[in-house]
Amino acid sequence: MAEFSVIGERLPRVDAREKVTGEAKYAADYSLPNMLWCKLLRSPYPHARILSIDTSKAERLPGVKAVVTAKDFGGWTWGWMPATRDEPPLAVDKVRYMAEAVAGVAAIDEDTAEEACQLIRVDYEELPGVFEPEEAMRESAPKVHDYVKNNISVEYHWNFGDVEKAFAESYIVREDRFRTSRATHGYLEPPAILAYYDPTGYITVWASKQSPYFHYRHLAACFKLPLSKVRVIQPFIGGGFGGTKNDSLAGDFCAVLLSKITGKPVKYVESMEEELVTSRRRHSMIVYSKMGTKKDGTLTAIHHRVVADGGGYTAVGPLSLYLAGFATTLPYRLPNFKYDAYRVFTNNPIGAAMRGHGITHTRFAAEIQMGMIAEELGIDPVEMRMQNAIDNPKPGTIYETINKVTLKTCGLKEAIQKVTEDPIWRDRNKTPRKEGNISWGVGLSGTSYLGGARQMGHQACAAIVRVCEDGTVNLITGATDCGQGSDTVLCMIAAEELGIKLEDVNIKRVDTAYTPVDPGSYGSRVTILAGQATQKAAREAKRQLLEAAAKTWQVKSEDVEIRERKVFITSDPERSMPFNKLSKIACYSGTGAVILGTGYSGYGLEPLDLTNGIGNGGTSYSFTAQSARVGVDMETGKITVTDFTIASDCGRLLSPIQAEGQIEGASVQGMGQTIYEDFIMDRGKTLNPTLLDYKMPHSTDIPNIKLIDIVTNDPDGPFGAKETSEGSIVSTPPAVVSAIHDATGIWFKELPITPEKVIKALKEKL
Amino acid sequence: MKQIRLMVNGESHELSVPPWRTLLEVIREDLGLTGTKEGCSLGECGACTVIMDGRAVNSCLVLAAEADGKQIVTIEGLADGDKLHPIQQAFVEHGGLQCGFCTPGMIMSAKALLDETPTPTEEEIRRGIAGNLCRCTGYTKIIESIKAAAGNTEEK
Amino acid sequence: MVTFYRRLPKFDYLAPKTIGEALSLLSQYKGRTKVIAGGTDVIPKLRRREAKTPDYIIDLKGIPDWDYVKYSKDDGLSLGALATIHDVETSPIIREKFSVLSQAAESMASPQVRNRGTIAGNICNAVPSSDTAPALLTLEAKLKLISQRGERTVNIEDFFTGPNKTVLSDEELLQEIQVPNLPPYSKGVYLKLSPRRSMDLAIVGIAVVVISDKGVCKDIRIGLGAVAPTPIRAKRAEDIIRGQRFSDTVVERAAEIAASESHPIDDHRASAEYRKEMVKTLTKRAINQAISSF
Repeated sequence: MAEFSVIGERLPRVDAREKVTGEAKYAADYSLPNMLWCKLLRSPYPHARILSIDTSKAERLPGVKAVVTAKDFGGWTWGWMPATRDEPPLAVDKVRYMAEAVAGVAAIDEDTAEEACQLIRVDYEELPGVFEPEEAMRESAPKVHDYVKNNISVEYHWNFGDVEKAFAESYIVREDRFRTSRATHGYLEPPAILAYYDPTGYITVWASKQSPYFHYRHLAACFKLPLSKVRVIQPFIGGGFGGTKNDSLAGDFCAVLLSKITGKPVKYVESMEEELVTSRRRHSMIVYSKMGTKKDGTLTAIHHRVVADGGGYTAVGPLSLYLAGFATTLPYRLPNFKYDAYRVFTNNPIGAAMRGHGITHTRFAAEIQMGMIAEELGIDPVEMRMQNAIDNPKPGTIYETINKVTLKTCGLKEAIQKVTEDPIWRDRNKTPRKEGNISWGVGLSGTSYLGGARQMGHQACAAIVRVCEDGTVNLITGATDCGQGSDTVLCMIAAEELGIKLEDVNIKRVDTAYTPVDPGSYGSRVTILAGQATQKAAREAKRQLLEAAAKTWQVKSEDVEIRERKVFITSDPERSMPFNKLSKIACYSGTGAVILGTGYSGYGLEPLDLTNGIGNGGTSYSFTAQSARVGVDMETGKITVTDFTIASDCGRLLSPIQAEGQIEGASVQGMGQTIYEDFIMDRGKTLNPTLLDYKMPHSTDIPNIKLIDIVTNDPDGPFGAKETSEGSIVSTPPAVVSAIHDATGIWFKELPITPEKVIKALKEKL
Repeated sequence: MKQIRLMVNGESHELSVPPWRTLLEVIREDLGLTGTKEGCSLGECGACTVIMDGRAVNSCLVLAAEADGKQIVTIEGLADGDKLHPIQQAFVEHGGLQCGFCTPGMIMSAKALLDETPTPTEEEIRRGIAGNLCRCTGYTKIIESIKAAAGNTEEK
Repeated sequence: MVTFYRRLPKFDYLAPKTIGEALSLLSQYKGRTKVIAGGTDVIPKLRRREAKTPDYIIDLKGIPDWDYVKYSKDDGLSLGALATIHDVETSPIIREKFSVLSQAAESMASPQVRNRGTIAGNICNAVPSSDTAPALLTLEAKLKLISQRGERTVNIEDFFTGPNKTVLSDEELLQEIQVPNLPPYSKGVYLKLSPRRSMDLAIVGIAVVVISDKGVCKDIRIGLGAVAPTPIRAKRAEDIIRGQRFSDTVVERAAEIAASESHPIDDHRASAEYRKEMVKTLTKRAINQAISSF
């Protein structure tokens, strides 16, 4: 008999049908009668003082119902931590990045609202701007925030062991400068909201939010309402990838305020260009990496000095910088580590979170540097990784890094092993290295990413499992499915625990009026934490059911089992009844006509130690080894990625179809950011604000992707699960970069690697 | 205002629309068929793909007036009551979707492709959906879904 | 002021039923109209407020029998103004006899855009990086322009006057694209350089038609796209090769000269230096590819 009846099965996602028929509604698909449309007026300068705003002409345009500016928000600001509440809904005295919002209009239709924006007169005094983080740190640089010295938004200095001594004693020490690209999430659904401010003092919004509870707190604070009177209803979400949709936007606040003023529902939908230009982006980070090893390639020390481009406001910056550092002691054993990191304000769009948050930048630098050192030492890069890789702790033991990051499972060695046995790596020297103008190369990486992340403040999450009298089940949780498939996984967990089928479980979409609070989807926490809450809730409901069965059959609860919709006595399976019969019995004879289980997960909730970098940033860590095969046209520099083999240790894949899709998608996203994607900036202005020129991969660009599943069965996740897929956005850039090195002999340290950069580098090499 | 007649999913609609309205806007806002999505509004992402007179087009680039008298098929027109179209079924079974936002447009492009080329090669599939961006799936399972729908079960 | 537009600006829409009607509207509303065929260039431009909003959009698609792809042994290829990129991409006669043009067509945009966009619209839009333009240059196409005042035929070489500028007046329409027959032993190649494999504008677009006579270059036409204010012919490069026996040396030389005839600019897609170098690389590649297919 298989270990599980639902977990691990290749089942379609629970919301597939709505999505393939077009029934699934996203935020922009909602409308209400008498609805107004909101449009924002934005700044044409990246850095300017606002001298005056004259909205009178706009207000007089027929069809315009209200216009708001910063003064209508009364000076309220928000931020990720109390100390970083620096962001106003609309710019107050200054704009700090190009196209920051300065006014909002509500009109009877979107055409009128757009026209009205053009009638608003804003007098700006343009200020000198600063657009490179290292320049912004200088004494003489223009100040983005008047009270912030040297434009330093966030600063960390951590020190573990003695790196200086370790470097002095190392056989080889390398120092290199790396830079990651200006990248964005690239989801297809531009952010949107439909807001209604009921005159009795109740806000209802349908908004594309990955973390609806952040938003509900923001709205409550901004509009001075109790949380119980703020309702965020979550529609289907068209992708999130951990950035803008985890936060609130100017358009959100304006839509709600305009609804309050006009008494009508207000809808706000961003254009794609607006999203690309104004939304939060992945930080671009400069990493000065210093790495030492012994003669045999054993790592002795790493010193990372990171300078991150924070853009105009803080947002989630403190977390980004923390994540870029704390896990550098994974996935290889590292006895000495020093981290000096700066997030710097500039007049660029805001740097914030994106899938593979933080770790992507520094792991890229460390992986490439390790490859360079292996080359210098004449050591096989696989050998070097295997030598340094953390071993899978024996069951019941824990591995602890020098900065007290702990893990119970680590499948890295097995992952590397499997990838090297796969033909892409194994046979790399059997296929021609050069074919005409194309030079072929194969590269490899070994990386890690955290799961079960926490931020600051409220972290815990809960779930409710309600068994209806006909044996069908409702799952109610505040956890957000932004497309990654968590609804399906949580339903599978509930079905497995209860002993029924996936199709018997129906999950309610998040609605802050009814669903329990949840921090949201980020840092790969939903399967682990909401999954655990779901498990507990299901077990509690099951306990109540078993009690009813025990009573009916005059046995003890422990004697009864439920499997595949059948309830039976373990020692005498002939005595059985169908699940729906037990449900009816339980519901009709219980203390209420509902069987209700609640569960809560407060797992692994130690606060983040931002100051010292000590301790865990998550509950567990995934490990990924990846090989990549590329062909480089040595005359044009054009890069074609033909193959990925990705071995992922995700603990256990609970929903294989979803997990595979996630891993594949993340690797393609990682590939995009390695060779195609970059915002080209000119003094704060985005020169390529459309999908034509912000080049995400299309179907004709993707490699053949082969996945290998490494099962380590982690005790800290439901059914052994760890995070899935942020691992492969971290593993892809170094695998591709090392493949490009294999093909060209060049180690690229700045992303993205465009054809022009390849040609330039090849010329310089000669 | 322009008086137009749109045939959408087999149903005829008489509408009065401003000349500057796009087919996408009219489908979504006047006809309430919100299955077709607005992604980039510039014809660069394919989320708004519908089939017009047998050809896949970006409905954000078609004026409603230009669509007067034309046969339009949107995602809502594929299923037969409760029964999913084979392409829809294949996407469900093979995981060809995650967030689902690109999915209506993707399925319409897939349909247009399979209508013209019933047994496409992998290269033809890739080219057939090259105008549809997906950020979630990395396309791998989309291609698998289309192959399955085409009845191609052999190796790429 | 910065507003990001989702809606189009306001205009009126007219759909003439004959060319005569269309021309009369262009005259009647001179300077206040914008002609639309596929709309794949016009609509995005209007949405982004990059083009002046016209009072009238004149939709040509109501004019029947104007999307033809005709071929005759005597007159060569004739394309109606409404022939789509898809029509050109898939036409068996174009693939067989004028393949440089079908190669250019299939490299463009997406299936959806190719289904709507017209080849006439593509060249009237006249972006320097147009794919069909270099191909048509190498085919020495002639363009039949028509207005209320009459007709005139313009060589494609004389059609483009600057980025997004042509000799077409605001009262004229491009009625037909005529491509004369190529001599026997002609091979055409279109190479487009861009970072991705689809959906990109060309960083450099090279079209080459080579006419061979037993290993000697009887004639050659080299069209360069995206490396000058308009698509151009690399005539000095052509002169070097014409009449010569094909060899690595002469191809290399021609490619070098083609690069020197280009004047690309630096922009956010690529630098002038890289583009110039790629003109050489791709011209060489295109010529060699054409030669090797004989």
